[in-house]
Amino acid sequence: MPEIQFTLNGERRTVNIEANDILLDVLRDKLGIKSPKCGCDRGDCGACAVLLNGKSVRSCLIFAIEVNEQEITTLEGISKNELSPLQQAFINNNSFQCGYCAPGIIITATELLNKNPHPTREEVKENLSGNLCRCTGYIPIIEAVLEASKRGKNE
Amino acid sequence: MYNIIGKKIKRIDGYEKVTGKAIYGDDIYLKGMLYAACRYTDIPAGKISKIDISEAKNIKGVEAIALYKDIPGEKRLGPIRKDQYAIIKDEVFYSGDVIAVVAAQTKDITYAACEAIKVEYKSYTSVNNPEDSIKPETRLIHPEFKSNVVVHYPLVKGNIKQGFEESDHIIERVYKTGFVEHAYIEPESVTVIPDPTTKGYKVYGSIQNPYTTRKTVALFMGLNLNRINVFGSTLGGSFGGKDDVINMMACRAALLAKITDKPVKLTNTREDSIKESYKRHPYIMKYKAGFNKNGKLKAMKIDILADSGAYSSQSFFVTWRSVVQATGPYEIENIQTDIKAVYTNNCYTAAFRGFGSPQIIFAQESLMDEIAEICGISPLEIRQINGYGQGSITASGQKLSGHKVSLLQVIKEAVKKSNYKNQIKKFQELNKINKRYKLGIGLSCSFRGCSLGAEGTDATSAIVSVQADGSVYVLAGLNENGQGLRTSFCQIASEVLGVDIDKVVFLEPQTATITDGGPTVASRSTLMGGKATLQAAEEVKKVIFKVIKKDLKVENIEDTIWAKGFIKKNKPAENIKPIKFEDAAEKAYGAGLNLSAYGWYSSPEVSWEESTGQGNAYFTYVYGCQVAEIEVDTFTGKINILNITAAHDVGKVINRLGAEGQIFGGVAQGIGYGVLEDFNIQNGEVKSNNFDEYLIPTIKDINHIEPVLIENPDKFGPFGAKSLGEPTLELTSAAINNALAFATKKRSYQIPLTLEQVFLGKNLKKPSRQSEDIHLSKNKKLSPKISNIKITTPASLDESIDILNKKKCKILAGGTDLIIRLRMKSEQQELLNIYNLPQLKGITENNSGISIGSLVTFSEIIKNKIIVTNFPVLVKACSLIGSPQIRNRATIGGNIVNAAPCADAVPPLILYNAKLILKSQKGTREIKIQDFIIKSYQTKIKPDEILVSIKVPKPEKKYYYSYFQLGRRNALNITRMSISAIVSLDKNNLVEECRLVDGSLFSHSQRLTVIEDLITGKELNNIIISEIEKPLFELINREIGNRWSSEYKMPVFINLVKSVLKDIKDKIGKS
Repeated sequence: MPEIQFTLNGERRTVNIEANDILLDVLRDKLGIKSPKCGCDRGDCGACAVLLNGKSVRSCLIFAIEVNEQEITTLEGISKNELSPLQQAFINNNSFQCGYCAPGIIITATELLNKNPHPTREEVKENLSGNLCRCTGYIPIIEAVLEASKRGKNE
Repeated sequence: MYNIIGKKIKRIDGYEKVTGKAIYGDDIYLKGMLYAACRYTDIPAGKISKIDISEAKNIKGVEAIALYKDIPGEKRLGPIRKDQYAIIKDEVFYSGDVIAVVAAQTKDITYAACEAIKVEYKSYTSVNNPEDSIKPETRLIHPEFKSNVVVHYPLVKGNIKQGFEESDHIIERVYKTGFVEHAYIEPESVTVIPDPTTKGYKVYGSIQNPYTTRKTVALFMGLNLNRINVFGSTLGGSFGGKDDVINMMACRAALLAKITDKPVKLTNTREDSIKESYKRHPYIMKYKAGFNKNGKLKAMKIDILADSGAYSSQSFFVTWRSVVQATGPYEIENIQTDIKAVYTNNCYTAAFRGFGSPQIIFAQESLMDEIAEICGISPLEIRQINGYGQGSITASGQKLSGHKVSLLQVIKEAVKKSNYKNQIKKFQELNKINKRYKLGIGLSCSFRGCSLGAEGTDATSAIVSVQADGSVYVLAGLNENGQGLRTSFCQIASEVLGVDIDKVVFLEPQTATITDGGPTVASRSTLMGGKATLQAAEEVKKVIFKVIKKDLKVENIEDTIWAKGFIKKNKPAENIKPIKFEDAAEKAYGAGLNLSAYGWYSSPEVSWEESTGQGNAYFTYVYGCQVAEIEVDTFTGKINILNITAAHDVGKVINRLGAEGQIFGGVAQGIGYGVLEDFNIQNGEVKSNNFDEYLIPTIKDINHIEPVLIENPDKFGPFGAKSLGEPTLELTSAAINNALAFATKKRSYQIPLTLEQVFLGKNLKKPSRQSEDIHLSKNKKLSPKISNIKITTPASLDESIDILNKKKCKILAGGTDLIIRLRMKSEQQELLNIYNLPQLKGITENNSGISIGSLVTFSEIIKNKIIVTNFPVLVKACSLIGSPQIRNRATIGGNIVNAAPCADAVPPLILYNAKLILKSQKGTREIKIQDFIIKSYQTKIKPDEILVSIKVPKPEKKYYYSYFQLGRRNALNITRMSISAIVSLDKNNLVEECRLVDGSLFSHSQRLTVIEDLITGKELNNIIISEIEKPLFELINREIGNRWSSEYKMPVFINLVKSVLKDIKDKIGKS
């Protein structure tokens, strides 16, 4: 069983994996990181989005072995101390209902606000276009990202 | 005035949901727990002759395999009629049937064991068309029920014959709707734990109706209800969908927990979920309407056939709602409606937000617009003439009274807010000018019975319990499904007791602690559960009042105000101080009073007479109207939804934020239902088995939604509140269909309004890509999980080449395509992970052109300045690939070598004469990209070669360019077709060079040289552009003329080529 080491939410982690282990499964089942969710397991819904070296990726489409010596951030790493302005804006705007897609969407929007602190409405839509939500009709999500963009740093 | 009711209240489950701490079904982990998986049938209909588990049970780590014979209690289940199996015996009814369930130590072992269970069958001819199902010669799906008809509801009012005789016009239309998948983003998950205390089981999971789950598991396990305690986990969406399917799963997990005496978790993959779970009923609806020339409806005859699929499930109730509401909110004297639900070997159908209403509203409201057209009146007038008013008599003979019949009010509000009348004029004017894109506007309206009506027992429970420090617990017999029930119920308790909502905690529900409150369905939770909560809170309030009335010097509770944590007199008096709520609570507690109360709300009387379909079906109704504004691309049939105005009478808004949220979400689902969601099941086999094929709206498919909340407080609901969840969805598809008829002057009688439905007037179904992969593979794989992989990660390019020289490997270069393909393969695969090799990264520029490393991601390509300046078509195409997360990971090299016909980077690279640099131990070679890809998924790469870079020569002259990509949605597409084009001019402004490349049309992208040659040397004008039609048709017809999709693709591709050439012509004109 190969061993990989990587930085997870700012901490150095070592884990034994199988070659066919997918990053999402290793995070959830071996490391107890439950915020990335499995919705489709083939890159079509975005519920499993995590940041890999600061970029949002679909953790169901990455073998765990590929993140050896890389840096992964999940929602657990973003809200270690207090809610980010984005998370607070999600609550303010009723931007989730069942909440299952929320971790993936917040991760993706966090990446957006990090690289583009004041996105337009169209840029928000473009950046979140890979995240499916079945409850909210998306409008409150857009509002939350735009609200957070007015408030400052999001990590 | 209320303190908190009607305001914008933040959800009380916000913190856990935005931090990822909420615990959903699959998040549950217990030490020593086993994983379960289902061995599904391989065929949709037939008789099992042999089940062989011998190989499976010997796999190390397998702890139990359960079959039909192991079921301890009731073997047949079902909410109304017992015709369903959690594990089948020897008869297969549909492709989601389960033959065996496996428990093992790891997920991978469960899947391996399922694969190892060998089943032999004798196939039956699968019955898949409901119209065939009712023919006398058709095989009975469940012979013991003597008929394939599950249920037949008749409704007769007045004299239908006379009504038609008195009509000036009679029209007959047939409408069709398909299966719809709930597509909650969380696949179902259930965990069952043996409970030695009760000698029963604890059940956790994504459960919509915990009491139904309890009842089903108790029956199946042969135990009393009090042995099963069901705990709802945070539910990742349901929309009516996590009922029967999760109950069946809970039964299987309970059986495995019994056999192993260990906790067992069963989580569906998305494919399993879509295959097994029930869908919305497809309806075939025949409407015959008689009316006067002024538009007054005289008679309506309706025949509806609903596909119940393999089991009856909720068909009895779903079709009953349809029979009550099938004539829409219109007063008609003479009606005859017959609705039948029939068995087939399709997915079974049951509850889904709307529950038998979206289908009939699509038909009814489309029909009303056509009647208006015949009578020469507006869609608005026809509804005003026939619409229900106060005291109107419904189809079932119910007099609408006791509530405000607000149909005309909601229509008026929707019309006003959407600026309907002006928009009509504006759109008509613009449509005269615009040739390609046509604008449309349409409306639809409905009435809807609240709660369960005469379906069955309609009562529910709630507990409000005040603690000695003034904090409050609320507990309900209904379930939080994501809709915001917890927040609304806490708001109600907070309003009654006058405490801050932060002081109220909604307790985790479990079936053991509160009486069965019935199912969380039928938009009944606020109306029924809210009322029970209100009653309980008022009971507690009375008890507390007893201990403070003396201090406040009042006799009646009505003389007090409970607000902001204080209790005070209505009329302030000197020397009487307001009492803090917590002090009052403490005092009551000290006096030995019970500060906990049970609320039980049972609905007012309703009635139904089965043989005539007459009666007071529901105790109150809601009314809604939606206006859709759309844009139709007549070249492709693609609909873009511009705006939906949704006006709904909700009685009274409890939480404005939540109510608006219901509208946004419901309308978005309505858009999916109307336009995108084309569930593909062929001969009983589900083809659209994941979100690549089953398309729900993305964020880019929703533009504007305008909620209009109208309040006419009802006498029954809490604070006058009624229902909202379902009405929001049921109207949208009809409004869109009416807008489409406005835009194109052609009417569609079927939804979803897919590209083909709009363009051709009929739907085309395509075979699924994944199933093609299954057939290619020697061993059919049951579960799409990756197994049997070896991965080597070389440190350098040289090492990679060295390895490739010695053994056969697949290159892992991002994996976004490869991993999907590997999920369906069972043979061993060796992968070479080159993703982090620095030699293959980066974009460099030299005199002749640029070199793109094969591992450059699409995100890097689309923001690279050199590429943006020189190769705009490449940037456009790459920016539309998959999603941002895919573009962050996927590489250009991977896209090329994978060689999918829909690979978006390939056509522009052909366009720009790109060459590929391939390296092996024998050396380096260059090959033109169009020579490299042979056909779909096949290239000339040798097993020992790596694609290292892509060389693209810089354009030496000025090229005009255009690009168009067609997808079914506005994002997350598999490209349906694309066209890349560049043109340069000579000094006489004649076309010097023209390059055109298709995408996703032929088996691999290619230059359209026939067309290029035709245009070269000529002036690019409308005449030459129209001349390409014939040769282009011949080219496509020769190559793909006999494909299933060519009827659509041929004319549309011709349109697209012409449109990009026109675009270039316009750009030339402007320069």
